[in-house]
Amino acid sequence: MNYRTQRIAYLFFATSLLLLSLQIVYGFIMAFAHSGYDVLHDIIPFHVARATHTNLLVMWLLSGFMGSAYFLIPEETQSEIYSEKLAFVQWLAYVLVGVTAIVGFHFHWWEGRKFLEIPRPLDYLVVIDVLLFVYNIGMTIWYGKKRTTTAVVLYAGLVSAALLYLPGMIPTDHQTADSYWRWWVVHLWVEGVWELILGGLLAFLLLKLTGMDREVVEKWLYVIVGLTFMSGILGTGHHYYFIGTPSYWLWIGGLFSALEPLAFLGMAVYAVVLAKKGGRRHPNQNALLWTVGCAIMSFIGAGFLGFAHTLPMVNRYTHGTLVTAMHGHLAFWGAYAMIVFGIISYAMPKLTGRKVYESPTAAFAFWSSNIGMVAMTAAFAVAGVTQVYLERKVGMDFLAVQEEVEVHFYGVILAALLFTSGIAAFIWDFIRYGLPKQERVEDVYGTDFIGA
Amino acid sequence: MFSRSQAKAFFLIGTALCSFVFLGLTVDTFRQMPQLTNAHNLSPEVIKGKHLWDVNNCMGCHTLLGEGGYYAPELTKVYERRGPAFIKAMLTDPESMYPGRRKMQAYDLTEEEMDAFVAFFKWVGEMDLQGFPPKPQLLPVAVPAAGQGGIAETMAQPKVFNQMCVACHSMNGQGGMVGPALDNIGSKMTKAELIAWITDPKAVKPETTMPKLPLSEADVIELAAYLTLLKSPTSDPSIDQQEAK
Repeated sequence: MNYRTQRIAYLFFATSLLLLSLQIVYGFIMAFAHSGYDVLHDIIPFHVARATHTNLLVMWLLSGFMGSAYFLIPEETQSEIYSEKLAFVQWLAYVLVGVTAIVGFHFHWWEGRKFLEIPRPLDYLVVIDVLLFVYNIGMTIWYGKKRTTTAVVLYAGLVSAALLYLPGMIPTDHQTADSYWRWWVVHLWVEGVWELILGGLLAFLLLKLTGMDREVVEKWLYVIVGLTFMSGILGTGHHYYFIGTPSYWLWIGGLFSALEPLAFLGMAVYAVVLAKKGGRRHPNQNALLWTVGCAIMSFIGAGFLGFAHTLPMVNRYTHGTLVTAMHGHLAFWGAYAMIVFGIISYAMPKLTGRKVYESPTAAFAFWSSNIGMVAMTAAFAVAGVTQVYLERKVGMDFLAVQEEVEVHFYGVILAALLFTSGIAAFIWDFIRYGLPKQERVEDVYGTDFIGA
Repeated sequence: MFSRSQAKAFFLIGTALCSFVFLGLTVDTFRQMPQLTNAHNLSPEVIKGKHLWDVNNCMGCHTLLGEGGYYAPELTKVYERRGPAFIKAMLTDPESMYPGRRKMQAYDLTEEEMDAFVAFFKWVGEMDLQGFPPKPQLLPVAVPAAGQGGIAETMAQPKVFNQMCVACHSMNGQGGMVGPALDNIGSKMTKAELIAWITDPKAVKPETTMPKLPLSEADVIELAAYLTLLKSPTSDPSIDQQEAK
């Protein structure tokens, strides 16, 4: 590694992978419940499993973003982290709050608001913790030798993500207002500012891995995040179709959210073209695979499958069905999980001085997790479309329909097994890398790629 | 083609414009929300129901306004669809209406808390939701001989038929699949048999899974009278087979 304090990223990456493993366990609990084997009903009923599953996702992705920032910012600013001690404290606090929240869910300590179940006292601790993180990164950039667009876009994404957590805490007794603010957090995160983080991380990896000119990479980065915000902000309207809000959201939300795939398409084209044009063959082709894979899968999962049910005339039938679960799984995997995996794949050799990326398990991890996730998405799609047809078109009773689609959850479980084998391989490689070096080491990728 | 600073300007101006419009629409949405959602009906009882909905994380399984867990029924129109008696029966004992099927958590609720839930569902169901949830429209077209609209639209039926019976039984192919279809029930059972059966199914046939429904005596008589009218011109052999199960 080029900067000693980058080693703190390891803690965040390890936390990420641990929380992801746990998330998968709760995913299986829910898939079994859906296929008729709700065997843990008395210990972990469905609503506990669901709150845990989705919150673990948010937690491990945020941990991955923070780790990525601690790794990336020193390279981009050409300086050490402002305070490594603060970063450690902030990591520890994050883990403690996260664990408390997850354990609390099992004792029904929660808010019962989808994706934002973390109870209010812990919300404040989350905010304080994220502020510490943002302060630490901000000071690093402030005192850094260089200030690059990539670093600034990433930082803008992190700061806005922290700020946009606040609308979710606006108190209200009104179900519609409650939903309205909740989507300010959830939508403006995943279809807004998180895409800045994604864009920043993607630009960093493409710069490092393809050797393309910074001017070109960062110019297109602006175009892509510009497209993201111009479609995504008003695209929030696709959550305001049917919740007791004015009818103009139907066409505003429909129009702008239908443009959201453009930003993802831009990202996919950008990654593929730069990877081809770059000219330099980076030794870590596995990290490039995750990077380009991320851009392509986020277009399919977030862009294409999101578009598939975002128009109001379609969404009237698919809203609140398993079709949403179909889109959600591939979108989060493609856009956010894969970019964290890309950063980890790129960073671990530099942090530890080892070259595990050349082993066959690294390729296996990529292909089986991706094929598994696509298959899982397909199984959700069949279940979702069947549900829409039988329940919303034919008028069959909800539970009767659920019994009809139980069989598709066997498909979900089989696909999830393949996916899990890929994740297990990735974690196995992560363990084989060992702990990061305590001091600066010679760059594992060779001197050619240090300054890139 | 264009420079980095032009790209940056595109990003900043585009974002600022969209944010500005979004904020304006948010102000307008909150201006219109009271009317669209009948906020004047937001009584302390409804608010209590909303609070109970949250603390019990009902959204973890159910959906409301289409938002939630996709594991348990959509409840936006549950007040209209099932009525207070059904809702309270489910809240008292989750096994009461769908015995042996997908499980709901048991809650230890007081009478006032159950009333608060009912009031909350009633308020949510009366919002202007721009046509959500959609009315099923396929089968009435596919079976023109039935001569009736969807179950929810058929006026001649007693209200409790739509609220209770179709959760497990079907008519014209719409409804549940647990109990036998009711299209020809009038040819199978007399009014007296129906009254005895609906009043307490287990007293007639101890091994049945049909629950004792939360109905008044008048409801039972009205329902039985209606059911005796259900005679399909071509008797359906599948009813006998399902009853034999």
